[in-house]
Amino acid sequence: MARRVLGDDPFANTTPEGASAPEEKAKTDAPKKRSIPPKARKSVPPKAPRKSKAPPPPADEPVARVAPPPAPLPVIEVPSPSDVPSPVEEAVEESVGAADLPPETPAPEDRPALTDAPRAADGEESLEDTIRALEARLDKLLEGSREQAQPILDRVSDKLRAVASAPAARGDGAGDARDEAAPYDVAKDLFASQYYLRQWGRVAMRDRSEEVDEFGFDPSYDARWRPVFDFLYERWWRVDVEGIENVPAEGRVALVANHSGAVPYDGIMLAAAMRREHPAARPLRWLAEDFVSHLPFMGAYLTRLGAVRACQENAERLLRKESCVAMFPEGVKGISKLFRDRYKLQRFGRGGHIKLAIRTRTPLVPVAIVGAEETHPLIAPSGVVARMLGVPYVPITPTFPLLGAAGLVPLPSKWRIVFGEPMPMDAYGPDAADDEVLVGRLNEKLRGTIQDTLDRALRQRRSVFSG
Amino acid sequence: MTDGRNDTMRVARGPRAKRTVALTGADAFLGRNLIGLLEDDDRVGRIVAFDVKNPPSAGRKTRFYKVDLTQPSVDARIAEVLAAEDVDTFLHLAFLSSPTHASAWAHELESVGTMHVLNACRERPVRKFVMWSQTILYGASPSNPNFLSESHPLKGQTESRFLNDKIEAEQVVARFARQMPGTVVTVLRVAPILGPTVDNYLTHYLGRRFVPTLMGFDPLMQFTHEVDALAAFKLAVMRDAPGVFNIASEGVLPLSTVIKLAGRMTLPVAHPLAYPLARALWAAQLSEAPWMFLDYLRWVCVADTELAQRELKWRPAFTTREAVLDHGGAQSLRDAHLMRASSHL
Repeated sequence: MARRVLGDDPFANTTPEGASAPEEKAKTDAPKKRSIPPKARKSVPPKAPRKSKAPPPPADEPVARVAPPPAPLPVIEVPSPSDVPSPVEEAVEESVGAADLPPETPAPEDRPALTDAPRAADGEESLEDTIRALEARLDKLLEGSREQAQPILDRVSDKLRAVASAPAARGDGAGDARDEAAPYDVAKDLFASQYYLRQWGRVAMRDRSEEVDEFGFDPSYDARWRPVFDFLYERWWRVDVEGIENVPAEGRVALVANHSGAVPYDGIMLAAAMRREHPAARPLRWLAEDFVSHLPFMGAYLTRLGAVRACQENAERLLRKESCVAMFPEGVKGISKLFRDRYKLQRFGRGGHIKLAIRTRTPLVPVAIVGAEETHPLIAPSGVVARMLGVPYVPITPTFPLLGAAGLVPLPSKWRIVFGEPMPMDAYGPDAADDEVLVGRLNEKLRGTIQDTLDRALRQRRSVFSG
Repeated sequence: MTDGRNDTMRVARGPRAKRTVALTGADAFLGRNLIGLLEDDDRVGRIVAFDVKNPPSAGRKTRFYKVDLTQPSVDARIAEVLAAEDVDTFLHLAFLSSPTHASAWAHELESVGTMHVLNACRERPVRKFVMWSQTILYGASPSNPNFLSESHPLKGQTESRFLNDKIEAEQVVARFARQMPGTVVTVLRVAPILGPTVDNYLTHYLGRRFVPTLMGFDPLMQFTHEVDALAAFKLAVMRDAPGVFNIASEGVLPLSTVIKLAGRMTLPVAHPLAYPLARALWAAQLSEAPWMFLDYLRWVCVADTELAQRELKWRPAFTTREAVLDHGGAQSLRDAHLMRASSHL
């Protein structure tokens, strides 16, 4: 069917045309070789007529063995394809090209060689016979062609003699031409936009995979940024992890965590914790709120790093593929709350995550993240400015607008991530997802668990920066 | 592709099963290639081609009828032909693959033309009606999930005639499907078609030396390889699967990767500038796609093809990446003038 599809289309009609074009070009090039720098000629693929007329490889061997170049002059070797341009060769080429060496010379020897080849496989004697016959024919052909080529050879030898009589002048000239040609080619390369396109493409794709998963996670991009996040994890925030074994090693599971810090690093750090500390090193996809995943640059980068826009359909698709998903039910309310409200869990949405967990029978693991609130303490509400910019909030921290971009460096607080006991959802039937009362109660229970864990961890913490 | 299931189909339909397939838009990309495919298929006895121009792929089985869907009395003419040729399957493909500035004409062709076609099929009922629709009708929006199912509303854009005409066409087809329970109505929502030979606004967009994008946005894109699209239509002709199906090749790619794989450079434009600029260019008839199409460079509009794989038993043979690479290979030949740019549809 593919044949038909292509066969009916202009593409198919144009292909032969396209294929023949370079050959024609090469043919028209041949007589005026002089004007083309040798390098440029070399770049024409082996479609140059001189080369295409050379006997094909299978027939080549017997020729070389049985009929050594008769060589009244070294000239005979010249027609064999050789890319090293020499004054001698060029002289020969010129005259040969002009006289058009009989094309029928190799043509007849092509066909018998090809048709004989399968027969030759029958036995060794027949093979030998075939080769003999071939050799004899070749000899005849060569003799015939030598007779035909004699006038050309004579002319070539005349030219050669002329060249040999003035070797220094001729050689120098040719050398100059070559030296000039090379930088010319380089310059042509440098001025071709194609060159820059290629280079740019290579640079831009250096840290990107050619394929991403269905939510846009890019393994190469992730690998490239991994050292940065490892540094943040190990050195900057010195993340301590507790109870990570509560996350099952396989099957769908949802981590439900508090959301904090004006810049949502918690998803990335949670993913780093799962990758580094979990016995099964489970890859984690975290759900990012709309506002983050639609922010220019930020959204695109987070998508490549494994964030997924938070919505029911996306979460359900991930869970049905048995993946480990992190959710922040507080959403924007969590990351935009002021510093004085730190570690006070906000409303947990409308319980969409609970309904989803019931529907897909996904265990929920409560997670408390301590330390992220202090990375970017929001000290002032930013209503008017934020509304003007069309974002939910602008991080006004002790450092941010004050120190410019340097103010966006997060503070090195000490982090602690506590994973709680999983809440199984198997006990509820599929209809339970519509039971608003039950959903509300489960939601409150989950929220209470996380708040308790947070409070406990905060009581144990002696210092914000050293833990 | 369908070989394994041919026998069961034939048994189900009985031995007389030589279909007569009629198609509108016969001289456009899909029509031309489908005629080629159906010409090769023994199960199709006759092909009735409606268009204003004879398709070049028409062969022995094809009968061409010159029909202009923008003409008022065209429904009677089509019904006449349907009765005379005893058509059992109708493929409605007369939709524009690229936006046009002649929006009044496009409206007549797509929205009103579909009405004419459906009226003809009411007058002289057919056994099956297949319609070409597109996934871009869902519209790119920040609230889209990463994968849109067939039940997602067609939001399109209120200001785009190109999308609205097609949405209207889908609505009248949906009404037709309710009114005519005896007709199998299949709507294939195909993601933007890309490939070596297809020629539409998308291939022109990716064919530019510098491809404009919106700075800071890199949505996931999904394309249909032209062969996958044709296979889906052929399958819809051969198999009875009523309903709406999303058709797209496998996998998604970020826009930036698409452009890199097509061998082009991105030209990022800040989105507060890009929208007014695109609006001005469209108003001045200098751009090929209306400014609303910038949304597709900003938000995700990717369809879930699971239903088509389950119900229509269609499998994408290509990935989005392969579609882009195929397009890029042909495009580089066109760049070097070794291949003719395919004719405008």
